[in-house]
Amino acid sequence: MTAPSLPPGTAPSAAPVPPRAHSVGGHVRAAVVFLVLMVLVTGFAYPFVVTGIAQVIDPGAAGGSLVHYPNGTLAGSSLIAQNLSAPYLFWARPSATDYNLTLGAPTPYGYSEPALQAVINETVAYMKEYGNFTVNGTLPFWWVAPSASSIDPDVVPDAALIQIPRISNATHLSISFLQGFVNQHTVNPFIPYVGVPYVDVLTLDLALLPLIGR
Amino acid sequence: MFELQSLWDVILLIALVIAFAPVFGAYLGRVYMDRPAFGDILLLPIETTIYRLLGTSPRRSMRAGEYMLALLLVNGGVWAFLFFFFTHQQSLLWNATGAPNMSWDLAFHSASSFTTNTDFTHFTNESQMSLGSLVIAWPLALFCSAATGLSVAAAMFRGFVRKDGTLGNYYVDMVRTTTRILLPLAVLFALLLVILGVPETFTNVLTAHPLTGGTQEIILGPVASFSSISLLGTNGGGFYSANAASPLANPSAVSNLFEVFVMMLIPFSTPFAFGQVIRKRGEAWPFVATILIVVAVALGLFIAYQAAANPSLAGITALGPQSNGYPVGQETRFSLPEGSLFQVVSVYSNVGANNMMIGALSPVAQLVLLFGMFTQSTPGGEGTGFGTLLLFAVLGIFVGGLMVGRTPEYLGKKISTGQVRWAALALLIHPAAILIPFVVAVTGGFVSVDTGSLASSAHTFTSVLYEFTSESANNGSALTSNYINDATPFFNITGAFIMLVGRFVPIWAMLVVGGKFAEQDVLPPGPGTLRTASATFTIYITLFLVIVSVLLFLPVIALGPLAQIVGGT
Repeated sequence: MTAPSLPPGTAPSAAPVPPRAHSVGGHVRAAVVFLVLMVLVTGFAYPFVVTGIAQVIDPGAAGGSLVHYPNGTLAGSSLIAQNLSAPYLFWARPSATDYNLTLGAPTPYGYSEPALQAVINETVAYMKEYGNFTVNGTLPFWWVAPSASSIDPDVVPDAALIQIPRISNATHLSISFLQGFVNQHTVNPFIPYVGVPYVDVLTLDLALLPLIGR
Repeated sequence: MFELQSLWDVILLIALVIAFAPVFGAYLGRVYMDRPAFGDILLLPIETTIYRLLGTSPRRSMRAGEYMLALLLVNGGVWAFLFFFFTHQQSLLWNATGAPNMSWDLAFHSASSFTTNTDFTHFTNESQMSLGSLVIAWPLALFCSAATGLSVAAAMFRGFVRKDGTLGNYYVDMVRTTTRILLPLAVLFALLLVILGVPETFTNVLTAHPLTGGTQEIILGPVASFSSISLLGTNGGGFYSANAASPLANPSAVSNLFEVFVMMLIPFSTPFAFGQVIRKRGEAWPFVATILIVVAVALGLFIAYQAAANPSLAGITALGPQSNGYPVGQETRFSLPEGSLFQVVSVYSNVGANNMMIGALSPVAQLVLLFGMFTQSTPGGEGTGFGTLLLFAVLGIFVGGLMVGRTPEYLGKKISTGQVRWAALALLIHPAAILIPFVVAVTGGFVSVDTGSLASSAHTFTSVLYEFTSESANNGSALTSNYINDATPFFNITGAFIMLVGRFVPIWAMLVVGGKFAEQDVLPPGPGTLRTASATFTIYITLFLVIVSVLLFLPVIALGPLAQIVGGT
């Protein structure tokens, strides 16, 4: 369709001719070309460019915050909890998936679901039996409660401190030394009240290994 | 024990967003106006080349019907690409984790979920999604659905200032949203996330050797670039199935606050973009105030009830006192207000990401989240959330006009029955898309309801209600619970239809309402004109929105969350 021709002698009107609508074929072409461009940009260019820059500006974080043994073997990621339930190590929060990432996030227990009381009772009993806690009283709620990701790498400082008698028994490191050791590895918010104090358990245990000769 | 001081960073962050939103909103608005804008020197030649490839031009402005057709073509293309990719992911690119091809019903649900900006998942990412699906297929929808939402909002805004019946060119809006808003911000925010500790790599699976022996598979990928656009575009899908609760996707309290900022940025700026497009900046404030009032009340209730001790655990004597909120289904590194802020903002912006387990929350906190999905406009998802709020306003002004006997008009455009009919349709399709499937699921035996136990039946009703509400609101947050299993053909197929209806019917209504306004002349303000940039209007719209939402959903709330709260279960 061409623009209507003006009668001879009349000047073109100042108002623009309203643009014509796309034909259906024109729409299909526009949509297809748009999608091809978007796949190339968002599916390939975007992640590749960001990854390229990220590997330069912070290769450690971009690589997954991996931590290694002194001999170079991959121990894990400081962002992911793992099974640390040995007598001579600090333990992480319990995991419904046994710290297996491929199982994803577990189904949580509801607020008043009887199974919630059961699983917390079970965890408390396990910690009491195998934790060898000589202190009287209670376990930190934040330590025994199931986490959201089931790979929460952090525990509250109380949860690390309460494990010291057991580790002291298993390793012959003194209680006062271990207390200082935990305090030294406690991450406090560097701006007050932004976040909470916590201890990254895998980092703590990796630092402990050379001290106990393992 | 909850310390009031720990609220300071939460309040400061909200204040920062509100201070920044007018500036960013003005930029956002200029992207959709036919005027010179920031970045033209660099981007205009690129955009012009793209228009030529597409065979379109900004001068080809579309009416509502044509705009909708273009929108359906592009979104249909995204849907088809995703459906094909997911059902063939085994034989396509990058599948180190050995993810199997999706069944057709699961792929139907997933493709519909991602195309509609919902990102509700009925699968476990780590074992059922290949890296190719996570990097090539899904992000296409993350970008396109966010851009579609903003384009629809822009088209609707133009209806208030145009007189020729057209709303703009959909392809041009999509291109400009991508080049000027989503892509540059996504790159910037992804890099900031990396600096805050989020992985960004093409190494997919590593085998680690834990300290106590055995092996642990570490799943990695371009998590930062995925999370960045997922949060910025109010999509909410997670690279990991634990979403932002996973320490890999949200490693610290600082990254948590930053992700909240990314989620809030566009939804809180959109009202100002509206003010910019209609060239009456003051008109944005009543909506921003409405959103702030609703979010603040929601956040207050959420924190208060998550700070309280869970009475059902009172019998466990060896448990220490509760500090920093209720820890079940929570991560250690976030304080109670910070974690709550993320969760409330995420659900109220229809992002739907979670940094805690919604199924583990107290019933009041769950009801708070449900309410955000009932209104789906405080602030709601990318573009469509504010579009819904404008529909509420249109309806509210019409009702108010009838009550005082004055011709209802908004911004000099008369509100006629034509607009009201479509606005009402858009607002009523939401409860319909939730309640009808709810009844079918419950009475059809697709969930097992233990009618003998109030606790069990109330939990089941809440779970089903949350599932369908999240899908209809295009939210995507999931109340995973042991009371329903949603990975079944019934929930896949029903859910997919709910999401498609909950997405495209309101979009259609927004375009039609905008188109009808675009055909009218602008009336000059007279002595009887309702002043909409005022505190009275703010209070009126807030009450109208809350009352309508509560009335629509009260019966079904009574079956689920209210029964839990009142029954103490």
